[in-house]
This record gives sequence, structure tokens and C-alpha cells, in this order.
Amino acid sequence: MQDEAALAINKNERPTARRQRAWNPRLLILLIPPIIWLSIFLFAPYAVLFINSFWKVDFGSIVHEFTWGNYTKFFTNSLYYGTFLKTLKIAAWVTVFSILLSYPLAYFINFKIKKNKQLFYTLVIIPLWVSYLVRAYAWKIVLGQDGILNNVLLAVGLIDHPMEIFLYSQYAVVLALTHIYTPWVLMSIYTSLEHIPRDVLEASKDLGAGRFRTFFRVVLPLSLPGLIAGATFAFVLTMGDFLAPQLLGGTSSMMVSNVVYSLFGVANNWPLGSTIGILTLFVVLGILQLTHRLEHRTTSFEAGTRGR
Amino acid sequence: MKSRRSRNKFLPALVAAITALIVLSACGGKSETPPAASGSGGGSNAGTSGKTLNLLTWEGYADPKFIKGFEDKFGVKVTATYFGSSDELVAKLKGGGGDTFDVISPSSDVAAYLLHEGLVAPINLDHVPNYANLASKLKDMKDVQQDGKVYGVPFTWGPDSLIYDADVIKTPPDSWNVFWDPQYKGKVSIWDDISNIYLIGQMMGLDATDQSKVYNMTEDQLQEAKKKLIELKPQIRKYWASGGELNDLFSNKEVVLAVGWPLTPTTVNASGRNLQETIPKEGITGWIDRLMIVNASKNKELAETYINYVTDEQVMKLVADATGYGVANLNAAKHMSAEQAKAIHIDDMENYMKKVNFWQEVKDRNRYNEIWNEVKAQ
Repeated sequence: MQDEAALAINKNERPTARRQRAWNPRLLILLIPPIIWLSIFLFAPYAVLFINSFWKVDFGSIVHEFTWGNYTKFFTNSLYYGTFLKTLKIAAWVTVFSILLSYPLAYFINFKIKKNKQLFYTLVIIPLWVSYLVRAYAWKIVLGQDGILNNVLLAVGLIDHPMEIFLYSQYAVVLALTHIYTPWVLMSIYTSLEHIPRDVLEASKDLGAGRFRTFFRVVLPLSLPGLIAGATFAFVLTMGDFLAPQLLGGTSSMMVSNVVYSLFGVANNWPLGSTIGILTLFVVLGILQLTHRLEHRTTSFEAGTRGR
Repeated sequence: MKSRRSRNKFLPALVAAITALIVLSACGGKSETPPAASGSGGGSNAGTSGKTLNLLTWEGYADPKFIKGFEDKFGVKVTATYFGSSDELVAKLKGGGGDTFDVISPSSDVAAYLLHEGLVAPINLDHVPNYANLASKLKDMKDVQQDGKVYGVPFTWGPDSLIYDADVIKTPPDSWNVFWDPQYKGKVSIWDDISNIYLIGQMMGLDATDQSKVYNMTEDQLQEAKKKLIELKPQIRKYWASGGELNDLFSNKEVVLAVGWPLTPTTVNASGRNLQETIPKEGITGWIDRLMIVNASKNKELAETYINYVTDEQVMKLVADATGYGVANLNAAKHMSAEQAKAIHIDDMENYMKKVNFWQEVKDRNRYNEIWNEVKAQ
């Protein structure tokens, strides 16, 4: 990140500056604190996790004996790979819904609102100040059998008895996660829309493109990097979530983090838990690499849209 | 151009990662050794004032009704952390939480395991004079004794009974099969715990001759139990993870049937509801909770003082008030109304206990846990 910003400033003298900087010892000193920080709080835990994933467990105690057993188990027992696939599916749904919700809203705030744009933007961001837990519990109040939604539907006469499906089901999990990650996706899309120069839109219209054509040929492609960044955010964070299924999920809503939690916190099987953690990490890194490339490929403007 | 640049960024990261890996492979191995054997010292002076006693207990075992008196009398502060299942307790103690807690309240399924693992310390009964007044049936259990030393002081016991909302279900269900009754689809809650497997074992009649059979089921029996639990899934509203969650499920009328502890009717009926417990014909399981002192605790004497305090007959009455559980000190009945003594079964303890299959140690706990997770993931 810092690196990137520095480069942007020195854009003109980039080729020579880069070569010099690589061997400038003073800059290496600057790098020491972040390297120490990352080593202790990021790489070291992952390294421990990685090593742990090759031990085995006998009667609740970790035995330091090398084995591939945990990895074989992950890929042969549907409890583990099946839950993982289901998690990917839920993450995909949450991502799709977050985009569908936040894109129109971001578009509206950015292009249609003339006055108080900042106010609208802030209104969307405010939910982020409320704790995740509070929001999850709020959904219980809304979706429960004696909850607001059921009571409204009963009063209107759409249903004749309270619906159970709203709460403690996969739908509730997807709904809550969508609610939680939509502001993030929105922020990212909004930023990329904001950076689209207005003259480009005018040019498109001057050249005879209609409203829809302008959107699909100009606005959407130019906002793709922001869209991809936001989608990545929602997808990756959903993959790691375990509270929503715990609080709002039904009998079959376990996600991969719940399995990891159970292995660490209940079954005392750290090695297998670590294995799943490592595999999840690799998948997430893969997704990040992929979307990173996609983002760059879709960046058409040198200015602006690169950032988040 | 850009991808080349980003590749360069990875180099220092890679170097750091490798360094960290080397450094940590050294200490990584060490960190798992159990936090045992550091005990026996500490807490030697009796001046307790200003100290903090940390409990790691089931819900309800740190109720202000009886904790407050201890805090005031000895000028100490009691903090409590709750665990939602026996496995969670073991995981917390083994996962490095050993020296954070002083007193724990394991149930009969893991108490012996904690003892064998060296996670708990022997209790000096000279500091627990109330031990003499506790029910001998509970004291006679050998699983928490070793080399003539006592590691656990009986505290409470109770059933995992069938709890039903008597406003909805007028006649007490006589069989666990009521959980599979389509009439109550989506109205049932069971615990998010391996004890469900014991329950199915009972329904299969495994403990007819030997109670320990449900704790040592064969793979075939486990598969059958898994099938049965999966069949139950459409009936289930939610697997409850804590007593508090089950209380909420009943309070909000989400469920009408559940397997649970007396804590739930005690708590929920206080707000005018009518929950009842019953023992179905297949039998029920139950638990006996002992108070134990963590081996790494630095407040062992204070812990003993606490254990003596809460097993006092008057305090035990307050424990019964708060939890609705059977208490280990039968003299507590002297301070109760006849109804309360009957409700917690201490008026007829020997007979009642015969109807309950009390939890025992499960040898292959990992497999039980895995089966239960497979049920949930299905």
C-alpha cells in the first residue's frame, strides 16, 4: 500500500527511482517496524497453524508425530469438504445480494443526488458503527415467530400463522450477512463511481448513446474495479464468519468457521482445525490473487479507479 | 508492468515468513505442553481480602444469590466464565487457560479425565469442613479420588429431562418419540452437545443392563444414532448452545419441547410461564457436578474457602433457588419448603437417582464429537 502511494507520487521518474530505492539502506530501516509487526502478528501465527496441521491427536492430547492424516480427512469426510463447499455457496449468495443492493444505491447517491450527498453516504455508513452482535440479535427480534415481520404479515393478512422459515434458517444467515457487508460493498462501488469524470458521460450522450447504453458501455465497465474489490470483501469476510450461523442459523447452517471453532473450542482437535484453517487461507489467497488481477485488467483509467 | 511490481513486493514478505517459520518451529512445539505441575505453591497466606477468585462453570453456578454473600464475607471478588459443554471446559483448560481459572465445575463425564490429565489439584478437606455433611452417595464416587486424596467436592446434580410447555402440551409426553411427532415439527430444541448421542443410545435400549453402554457405543450403533438424529433435524427449531439460549427459545414461544436442565423451568416459569419436566419411559441421562480446583491456580486456599462456603447448608438452599438443581448437602432441605425439596428431589434422592443414567467418561469422545458434527453438517 505505502509502496503504491509512493510510486504514484514519483510517477514521472519511476524507472530510475525504483532501481535506486531497492538498494537504499535508509528505506530498508523504514521497513523494519512493519516487518516485525507482520512477522509477530501475521506470519508467525500462520506458521504455527501450518506446523500444527501436521500433528495428530490421541485422546485429546496433541502428539508431535508427522502425518498427512488431517489433510486426507478433510478431503474424504463430507463433514469437512462438504461444509467448505456450502460456505463457498453462502458466500457467493451474500456477494450477489450485496452487489444487487448496493450498486443501485451507490449509483443513485453518486449521480442522482445533488444536495447533501455526504449526508446520504453517511446514512449508509452509520450501521457500521453498530456492533455486529447487536445487529445479529436485532434480526432475531425482526424475524422470530413472535417477531416484527411475522406480526406485520399477520396483520396485513398475507399469512394466517407465523412463519418459522424466517429465523433459524439459511435464509436468515444470508440475510444478516448481506445486511452486514452491504455497506462495505457500497463504499467500494461508490468510490469508483465517484472517480468517473462527468465529461465521459456527456461524451457518451453526445455521441448518441442512450441511458442504458451509457450505463452498460461506460459506467459499468469503469466501476468494475470497485465492484470487484467490494465483492471480494463481502465474499472473503463471509467465508470466515461463524457468528451469523451460530446465532441465526438453523440445524444445517454450519459454515466452515463453525467447524473450526468446534475443533478448537469443543473437540480439542487443534491439528485438524489448523488444517482447515490453512486450506481456507490458501483458497482465500487464491481468490485475492484472482480478483487482484481482474481489478487491474478492468482498470481503464490511469487516474482514480485504482484506489479503494 | 504492474504484475511485475507486485511480485517484487512479495519478496520481503516471503523472507519474513520464512524467518518467522524458523523462529516459531522452535517455540511452537513448546507451547502445547500442559500447564501442569506449577501448583502446590502460592496462596499460602490466609489474608484473602482484595483477591479475585475466577470460576469456570456451568451457567447458574455464579448466581449473585449466593456469590454475593461470599464476596461480602471475605472481601473478595468473584468472576465467572461460563462454558456451554463439557468439551468446551476441557478445551479451555488444555488450550492454555489453565492458570486463568481457580475453581471449575466439571460434570461426571470429564471429571476423571481432568484428573488423569493432571489438570486439577487435590483438595485439602481440612479447609472444607462442610464436606462431612454432603450426601454420601455422591462422595462415594471413586472417579475423582486418587491415592486417598479427594479432587472433587460434590456440588449439584440433576437430570437432562424432557421439558415441555404445559400450556401447549396438556398431557406429559411418556416417550422421547414425541420429538419425532410431525405435530411438533419445528417446535423442538435439543442441546448442541454429544449428550444427544447418549439419549439415542437410551432410546435404542442400550443401557437396559449396563448403564455404561451408551458412553461406549460401537461404530454401528453410532451410525444408527446419527441416522436417528438426522431424521430429527426437520423437527428441530434450533440446537441450543447455552441454557440462556434455551430459556429464550421457550420465552419467545419458538419451541414447546426440549431436552434441558431444571434451570430452564426455574428461570422461565418465574415470568409466569408453565414449563414442566418429565422422565420418559426410555429413561433420561443426568449429571453430577463436582467442584474442582485447577492445578495451576494461584489461589488454592481461597478456592477451598469458596468450596466450603457454597456447600454450607444455608448457601446450598440459595443454590437450589437459583438453579433448581439437586444440591449435595441434604441438610439444605431444613431451610426449604416441602415443595422445593420435592421439586429438586432431595427428599427422595436415592430412589430418584435410580431412574437417571448419570454421565460417565466417554473413551472415544473425538468420534462422538465428529458424529455430532456430521449430524449438524448434514
